[in-house]
Amino acid sequence: MTGRGSRLQTAARSVAIPVLVVAVWQLWAGNLPSDSNVPVPSVVFEGALDLVRSGDLALAIWISIRRVLSGFLIALAVGVPLGLSMGMSPWLERNADPVVQTFRMIAPVALVPLAIVWFGPRGTAAVFIVAYGALFPIVLNTIAGVKEVDRLLVKAARTMGLKGRQLLRTVLLPGALPSVYVGIRIAMGLAWGAIVAAELTVGFKALPTAEGGARFGAGGGIGFMMFYLYDNSVSPDLIVVAIVAVGVVAYLTDRVLRYVGRKAMPWARL
Amino acid sequence: MAGRREIFATGDSASAVLPREEVSLARGRRRDRLLSGNIRATLRYIRSIAVVLLVWSLIARRIGNHVLLPAPDRVARSLHRLWTGGDFIEDYLLSAQRLLTAYGAAALAAVTLGVTMGLNRIANEFFDPVVELLRPISALAWIPLWLAVIGISSTLPYLVIFYVALFPFLLNTIGGVRGADPLLIRAASTMGVSPRVIVRRVVLPDALPSVLTGARLAMGGAWMALIASELIGAPNGLGFSILFFGATLRTSDMIAVIVVVAFSGYLTDLLLRFLQRRLTPWKA
Repeated sequence: MTGRGSRLQTAARSVAIPVLVVAVWQLWAGNLPSDSNVPVPSVVFEGALDLVRSGDLALAIWISIRRVLSGFLIALAVGVPLGLSMGMSPWLERNADPVVQTFRMIAPVALVPLAIVWFGPRGTAAVFIVAYGALFPIVLNTIAGVKEVDRLLVKAARTMGLKGRQLLRTVLLPGALPSVYVGIRIAMGLAWGAIVAAELTVGFKALPTAEGGARFGAGGGIGFMMFYLYDNSVSPDLIVVAIVAVGVVAYLTDRVLRYVGRKAMPWARL
Repeated sequence: MAGRREIFATGDSASAVLPREEVSLARGRRRDRLLSGNIRATLRYIRSIAVVLLVWSLIARRIGNHVLLPAPDRVARSLHRLWTGGDFIEDYLLSAQRLLTAYGAAALAAVTLGVTMGLNRIANEFFDPVVELLRPISALAWIPLWLAVIGISSTLPYLVIFYVALFPFLLNTIGGVRGADPLLIRAASTMGVSPRVIVRRVVLPDALPSVLTGARLAMGGAWMALIASELIGAPNGLGFSILFFGATLRTSDMIAVIVVVAFSGYLTDLLLRFLQRRLTPWKA
């Protein structure tokens, strides 16, 4: 079972479907008339090289990452204190939970047009959408985390005279951290989905005043770049490059978060 | 919550030892208490939302610009107008149909594939890398590609919803199938039950709670995908109405649509939660 042959077999199986799909796709799309809208794998590869070498892709991703981080930090700054106080005060939780649950049902993307009315077709609108989407996983997981803290520890700390802020810093926050961290990972995943959708939609409005001077609207972030590539019929192949880039960045972000989590919280089994 | 659970516990143990009339009496009391608990929760909900509405209308009055922020009563009038006028209901039904069709297709595909991948190692080796490759790519990122290939069309929402709903369903099905008690499976096969029946009678029921968790996650994602795809790439539907009202600065109509979408999403989740309690009472 664990012999060399079977490991080779496993490797062959794991690449079989992707290779087959790409091969069939290449054969099919490569023979379509040249004005078709179907991306061709070999051209996608060339496009990727070009976008990476010219730095357009890196610029677009950098702009999007900056927006994701700003929105994310806002969500963190609002969500963790809110979650901590809701977790500690049953009165607040009883009264604020209906509000949180109601607003949670609103998909962040649905708020893009409202954000555009409020902030204009700019990056700020995208940051708002990210913050909104990331807020709820953080709040709900922080509440759950505070409730998970061992009551005995809290009682012990109280007996030893810890109160208020001290109790929060030394017992509640470290105890709730693993759960907060789960919320952060979920929120980061959502944030990436939200930024692409927000930049795409903002793109509908922002086109005349496209941000930045880079090629393919890269100055407007990766989502805007996708919209630009579509709207100007530049090439569907480059859109595929952007899609793959979004996936790679999402994957790497989660990897980094997991690494940081394991290093920062060795006591939590993550 | 703790109080409610206790009531359940005493009720269940009571049925084992008490005579029938007393059991029904206990059940009646339990229902009464649950009911009054529900009423209290509802009242609390109304109170909290009322506070939000009050704050909202105060801010709206302060801003004094109904394009920027319409007051709640304006939105209420918009809601009424939308439901009594014709177009909105058409959009609503269209979106509902898209959501349910694509969601159903994703459920069918994911459960079939998930059971296969969960039970068959070779199938898993073939498909798992594909799933892991596609999963980190947000479905919304595919929208521009579909736009470039098929253009703005009614097909686009189906594709996006299917893609979004597929993964939570699939991963939870695989997890559920793998988590099925091996002792039960071995016991069944010792007693000569055929593999097919084992899958249907042992593995699937054991995987059901996990599948239903996936169903709820998938539904949340499906709503988001519906709105995003219609907003960006469809000529009609709820998402398009949001964009349309936003673009024509009819903010109160736009907020009304958002409210309807959020409420519908809440209702579908309630429905799935009800199914969860009904089909897997031992988990709820």
